[in-house]
Amino acid sequence: MTSVSENQMHADDIVIKPQRDWVLVGLWIALFVTAAIWLAPFVFIVFTSFKSNGDVMTTSAFAPPLHLQTSNYTAAWDKGRFGTTLFNSIIITVIKVPLGIFLSAMCAYALARIRFPGGNILFQAILFGTMIPFQVMLAPLFTLVNSLKLIDTYPGIILPYLAFGIPYQVFILHAFFRAVPRELTEAARIDGASHFTIFRRIFLPISLPVLAALFILDFVATWNEFAMALVLLQDREMWTLPLGLSAFQGQFSRDYGQLNAAIIMTVLPATLVYLLFQRYFVAGLTSGSVKG
Amino acid sequence: MKAKNSNSRETNEALFLIVPAIAIYVVFAVFPMVDVVWLSFQKWNGLDASKQFVGIANYVDIFTKDPVFWQAFRNSVIWTVLSTIFPPMIGLILALGLNQPLFGRNAMRAIYYLPVIIAPIAVATMWRWMYDPFFGLFAQLLTSWGLQSWIKDWLGTRETALYAAFIALIWQSVGASMVLFLAGLQSVDRSLVEAARIDGANRRQIFRFVTLPALRPTITIVLVLSVIGSLKAFDIIYGLTGGGPAQSTQMLALWAFTQSMQIFDFGHGSAISVVLLIITLLIVVPYMRWAKKREGGEE
Repeated sequence: MTSVSENQMHADDIVIKPQRDWVLVGLWIALFVTAAIWLAPFVFIVFTSFKSNGDVMTTSAFAPPLHLQTSNYTAAWDKGRFGTTLFNSIIITVIKVPLGIFLSAMCAYALARIRFPGGNILFQAILFGTMIPFQVMLAPLFTLVNSLKLIDTYPGIILPYLAFGIPYQVFILHAFFRAVPRELTEAARIDGASHFTIFRRIFLPISLPVLAALFILDFVATWNEFAMALVLLQDREMWTLPLGLSAFQGQFSRDYGQLNAAIIMTVLPATLVYLLFQRYFVAGLTSGSVKG
Repeated sequence: MKAKNSNSRETNEALFLIVPAIAIYVVFAVFPMVDVVWLSFQKWNGLDASKQFVGIANYVDIFTKDPVFWQAFRNSVIWTVLSTIFPPMIGLILALGLNQPLFGRNAMRAIYYLPVIIAPIAVATMWRWMYDPFFGLFAQLLTSWGLQSWIKDWLGTRETALYAAFIALIWQSVGASMVLFLAGLQSVDRSLVEAARIDGANRRQIFRFVTLPALRPTITIVLVLSVIGSLKAFDIIYGLTGGGPAQSTQMLALWAFTQSMQIFDFGHGSAISVVLLIITLLIVVPYMRWAKKREGGEE
């Protein structure tokens, strides 16, 4: 497992030479300009979200809004039914993310620490799942959930979300659990502890950093998911934020200020989570996929 | 006898721990994958109780009677090739740059990564507005530079729509490659870089003979992830163009969805899904073999 921690980064720095390194200066300028370009769409969206339609048509793209048209946000909130979609997104995410990580962790523990017939094949089957795009299976997923009478219900979306999140999480946690010294499990086994107790009392506490990383990654993935929600949530009372935004764009694409306010309200929660928990993000993304 | 007992007790405990996750995985991920193959041999509108077995007729239809399938196929290939080349390449360049001791590099890393965590459907909505030929970002910039004649409806023109969509994808996805490359760069042996420098190697030679070989596993991973990610392109196309204009941005994943869920031809839709699934497997299976061998080699 590799974590891009600051210490490692500094250890990696090239020894700074006394004279100015012009290659580095040029590099810095290039990276800075590119970063500014990368950030520009956000600036444009934020500015537009505070402009009236009249201002959008008369002022230039990067002109800050003259008078803050905050009514864009309240209007978009009502027209886009953000109260409903935000509520659904929160319910689904709050149930799915912790539950999924807990189930994955139990499964990963058993696969990593208990020898039982078929365990290895099972692990390979799960590994395989990390690579399969569920976009391929939208139609059969719909018929399955429909036959269970779970279309437009929370379980009807949460169960498929769990199923498609499990492989990656098991994969990451499996690698982590396997690196825990055997003696830790064996000592507890001799004392008569069950595997579930060992898992709950020893493995969960020591893997908190990995769990945190997975938690953040899964939060963002669940919060942003669109394709499955599109198929499995047809009633607009059940829509999530991404579905709401897509519908808003379809209906009100000429209300520029409000459309941009809707975009911001949709992406703000994930952005805040990212900015607050940045370091876990990088650790989670790079663990497992790239080995040091 | 005693050993056998403890073994079966171990197995029972293991089952108790794995069954919840495995059951959900099998029912809601594995079963649909098997079902899609089964459905691809049926004629079914998704609603009737009865399905009609038609053999390979659906495959014959999509290969010979559905011009949109080949258009979608072609677009998926273009999209895959482009997204296997450009975002990883830009990501690598950014990672190499941001691995240097530069002022504000953490802030810059955060900026490049920010689009990755935004919902693809929101990225699509943002870029659709930016491409707006009247008041969008690009129209306004070109106007202020006196280049009004360059303005056109990029997403509404058959020749440019796919590439306009791809630029939005670049913006969203380079950060993901960059982070993986930054992690991979940590595995470059510092002492080798030092030794090469002492031996008089310049920056380019160090990159070519020290950094690049050490990055090879990371490059493979990033490329495979890019290919798989691009084959399942759905949200961003759905939100930007919906496959239009005149199917010029249609993709396999989106066309499979459209056939099943909007035209209600589950047979055709599933056949397209199976084609996509097979293409994915052709990439994934060799990759997993390679990864397993590498894992084994390390231990």
